[in-house]
Amino acid sequence: MILKINPEGAELLPAGGVAGKGGYETVTMLKKQYGENVGVIFIGPAGEMLMTGAGIGNNDPEGNAGRYAGRGGLGAVMGSKGLKAIVLDSPKTFDVPVKDKSRFQEAARKFAKILLDHPVTGQGLPAYGTNVLMNIINEAGTLPIRNFKYGRWDKAGEVGGEVAAELCNARGGKATHACHPGCVMRCSNIYILPDGRSMGSLEYETAWGFGPNLEVSDPDQVAEMNYICNDLGLDTIEAGVTLGVLAEAGVIPFGDGKAAIAALEEVGKGSPLGRVIGAGATTAGKVYGVTRVPAVKGQGIPAYDPRSCRGNGVTYATSPMGADHTAGYAVTANILKVGGYVDPTKDEGQLDLSRNLQIATAAVDSTGLCLFVAFAVLDNPEGLPTIVEMLNAMYGIELTINDVVALGQSILKVEREFNEKAGFTKEHDRLPEFFYNEELEPHKTKFTFKEELDEVFNF
Amino acid sequence: MQVEVRVFCGLECYIPGATFGQPIPVEITNGFTGRKLLETLNIPEEKAFSFLVNGRHKDLAVVLSDGDRVSIFPAVGGG
Ligand code: SF4
Repeated sequence: MILKINPEGAELLPAGGVAGKGGYETVTMLKKQYGENVGVIFIGPAGEMLMTGAGIGNNDPEGNAGRYAGRGGLGAVMGSKGLKAIVLDSPKTFDVPVKDKSRFQEAARKFAKILLDHPVTGQGLPAYGTNVLMNIINEAGTLPIRNFKYGRWDKAGEVGGEVAAELCNARGGKATHACHPGCVMRCSNIYILPDGRSMGSLEYETAWGFGPNLEVSDPDQVAEMNYICNDLGLDTIEAGVTLGVLAEAGVIPFGDGKAAIAALEEVGKGSPLGRVIGAGATTAGKVYGVTRVPAVKGQGIPAYDPRSCRGNGVTYATSPMGADHTAGYAVTANILKVGGYVDPTKDEGQLDLSRNLQIATAAVDSTGLCLFVAFAVLDNPEGLPTIVEMLNAMYGIELTINDVVALGQSILKVEREFNEKAGFTKEHDRLPEFFYNEELEPHKTKFTFKEELDEVFNF
Repeated sequence: MQVEVRVFCGLECYIPGATFGQPIPVEITNGFTGRKLLETLNIPEEKAFSFLVNGRHKDLAVVLSDGDRVSIFPAVGGG
């Protein structure tokens, strides 16, 4: 079915010709049918086949099917309802009701300035996008290479943000791009493949998952895998981690981009191998008897090795979402020196760091702001008060900063309660064994936190 | 004595002929600090937000040793 929403109301319509179609074609067909300016939220064949690695896609302003609510298997949820796409048709600018307009505008202007004044949100993200991280995470020795075997690789930079930005510009794409109108940080990009196909945005986690994680150093092969995932409606992080597990099992060789592409293409065919890939890293590990499976609560661990970026290790282990790097992005203080500095290879301070970030993130995520505002907010004491001011002006309420912390805590508590009722225990708040047993080069680190992790949710 | 320097994210513009990520060998003497290295390479101190020696953050007073891998970045973030 298609859910069509316009000012007159909502209507369920038969999916018709878009059933079974890939993301790019789905967006193109629905825009043709319902008007070029409609927004399309969709699933691809992976979601329709109820694969647990399926995400939900959104079109970008140019109509690329590349902006994903990728993680957690939400595409399979949408697929299970028989919902192929949601078409949003708003013929005129929709003015969200704001209680006190001038107060809101003043706060919003101030907030935009805070973002533009910070070097990360005002310069680094616009110039190179999120993939600016590839080199610094690699130099810091915590870039997972060859399914989390090593922490640094001399070819990582070949798929990094500097190279990608050059390719975007040289091929008529865009190195600086807003994923939706109005964003001042514009971390997105438009990557053009050698044959001219416009892929949409190449993000850091994706570049890592199909690049260094598989020992693939060709940016076009990485972007091709990204394209296939966008089209299939597959979470790129989970797909990258899963291919790493398959390479570990010997199903495809490490360092062979062509073999990885061919394996991903199996997903669209719904073949047995394709279904294993679509089911994610944990399932793939079980099917092929691999124990080096980097996943927590059934979700693949992204682009920061927890042994030498331990704050994020704490987040991976304890977040109610499973291994989610954004849920408490300790890379800030561990590697990027944003919001203070906590030595990434030591244990001190990591539990507090992860806890505070998880609380703040749950609250900021609830505002609908892009999480990347956090770089500026963590460093600028005016940041959080200005967000609170925007909320107050919008709804005519009088929240304080303490209320925001309480909001974040209450969200996490509800999520934890849900998990408990779904059968998760503290044993699930641990990293896979090999992170405790295998040393990571170059800093010769192991992950150590076990029972201590039970203190993260001590509020 | 020599260190191997890598610069990224636009800092290469201060070093004639340099490309991001390419190792640049720099001769050092006894007591050669991070600050002295930036001076030698003409990189303004305020641009060198992250200064890593062998993958660890150091402040500019750090004394460099033979064979160190030095990586220099402006302020960056993503996710
Ligand atoms: S809203 Fe966020 S993800 Fe989108 S372009 Fe802006 S900074 Fe990037």
